[in-house]
Amino acid sequence: MKVRFWGVRGSIPVPGRSTSRYGGNTSCVEVRPKGAAPIIIDAGTGLRRLGKSLMEDAFGDGKGKATILISHTHWDHVQGLPFFSPLYRAGNHVDIFARQRDTHLEAVFSQQHDSPYFPVPLSAMQADVQFHEIIEGAQFSIGKAKITCTRLNHPWVAMAYRIDVDGASVTYCADTAPFTDILFGREFIVTAPSLDEPLPADVAAELAKMRAGVVALAKQTDLLIYDTQFTLDEYRLRPHWGHSHPDDAIQIARDAKVKRLCLFHHAPMRSDDDNDLILAKYREIAKPDKFELLSAYEGLELTLGAE
Amino acid sequence: MKVRFWGVRGSIPAPGPDTIKYGGNTSCVSVHTKTGGLVIIDMGTGLMHLGNSLLTGPFGKGQGRAAILLSHTHWDHIQGLGFFPPVFIPGNEFTVWGPGNSSNALEQILEGQMDPNFSPLQSLKNFSAKFDVHAAVCGEAFTAEGLTITARSHPHGNTTALAFRIVEDGKSFVYASDVGQPTEEPAPAEMIEFFAGADVLLHDTTYRPSDQATRRNRGFSTYEDAAAAAIAAKVRRLVMFHYDQDYTDTDVDELAESCRAYLDGHGGKQIVLTPAREGDELEI
Repeated sequence: MKVRFWGVRGSIPVPGRSTSRYGGNTSCVEVRPKGAAPIIIDAGTGLRRLGKSLMEDAFGDGKGKATILISHTHWDHVQGLPFFSPLYRAGNHVDIFARQRDTHLEAVFSQQHDSPYFPVPLSAMQADVQFHEIIEGAQFSIGKAKITCTRLNHPWVAMAYRIDVDGASVTYCADTAPFTDILFGREFIVTAPSLDEPLPADVAAELAKMRAGVVALAKQTDLLIYDTQFTLDEYRLRPHWGHSHPDDAIQIARDAKVKRLCLFHHAPMRSDDDNDLILAKYREIAKPDKFELLSAYEGLELTLGAE
Repeated sequence: MKVRFWGVRGSIPAPGPDTIKYGGNTSCVSVHTKTGGLVIIDMGTGLMHLGNSLLTGPFGKGQGRAAILLSHTHWDHIQGLGFFPPVFIPGNEFTVWGPGNSSNALEQILEGQMDPNFSPLQSLKNFSAKFDVHAAVCGEAFTAEGLTITARSHPHGNTTALAFRIVEDGKSFVYASDVGQPTEEPAPAEMIEFFAGADVLLHDTTYRPSDQATRRNRGFSTYEDAAAAAIAAKVRRLVMFHYDQDYTDTDVDELAESCRAYLDGHGGKQIVLTPAREGDELEI
């Protein structure tokens, strides 16, 4: 399979000179099993350009089929959907999977298209769009690909996905905080709590279970894509934002014995030069490790498993 | 007053090496008044960068105050709000003037953006700064930060967007983004009157004519529409704004050349033309 990054940024798109090498579009990764329809993870603004490229093939003739796996519905993971050209062509078929919310997924996604926020309602999309609600632990197949998922530690809960196909696998973990300081749920956390006080036993146990789920999901995966929005110092200032850092990602990668770790969901204000420095620093730290360390950039394409 | 462009792109931010010259952030313009006041127009993604720049002044200490004029509530005009650092600093005060039948209705629309399904902020109530929302009454001048401001509603696809005329000591700046006539008829006289004699008219120039022809229902203007309005309204300077997300820097260069040619060929030789670029400033 091939994995291609169309958006690698967290929180908000950041156009500009200082982000032009890594790219300023928000989260979107295309997984292309050999000879099969694309499986897209997250619908950030990177989805717009992916959509344009898909329109050059079957999607332009209204004969395309795609699956979109949504980690969670925060804006930076869905705001490309209204600009996904294949949705505007009759005959195309798009399956959207996301974790069950309080209201049906279709209603959640419709909100993004509703007046007075957007001129074209979701119901006016000519493509056949099907929503599939899933819960953590769900296992399902998309063609020959096998999908598994587990929950992450993020406000209002995000889902991690693993795709196994063509004898290889990719695991996507964004967005998540480390599993050490805060158990995220529905509460709005106004200020950063102290990181030095021990957690209540039940919270610590819940986080340990969640972490074990992530390590199990990523077990020996060929590519682990991980939320490393923060540096360790930034994380200590903003642990209540629900994002992780490379030190934590490396520990997960070690425990799961992955083959490659890819830093992902870069902070909006992180310049290309900053990203270079972070990658160089952590490549040094991960030198004794068996996995290869990468940092995601728009246009990065990896082939996993047999060509 | 000093006008600065923080986001000049339409519809959705367009990061990439081919949008660096003009910029890929969505609509946001700041107006600094002679007396140190600040008026912000639209809250696209450019707002984050404006916000970061303000932190070195009073806004960083919770002593800042600004008015925000909102043309309409399509995503590309509000999606910077959650990333505007000054709203998270207690003591800062913001007053939003935007479209709607009631202030409450407008506030609920902005609140919808913070819905916990979509935003970790969950509610406008989690802002630390004072954040008041008012529906602007069209045609009635109001004062904000020492400027006299008048709003006018214009057609924008299946909805409308407000244009604003801002006056300081007889100098006038008109902001008219996201406007498009539903037919090929020229802009109505009332609209030209609203623009009349402006020192600077910032006008929607989303499309080249060939693209508008297939997308008129989206409610945007071409550079020809903008130039024709500028000529009819006898403005001094026309600012091109809200470029289509698919247009590269080369495309916008061509748009500007074509717009200049149109002005020159239709009696607008004396009008100064400025294609808006992120980071550029205009003294009016």
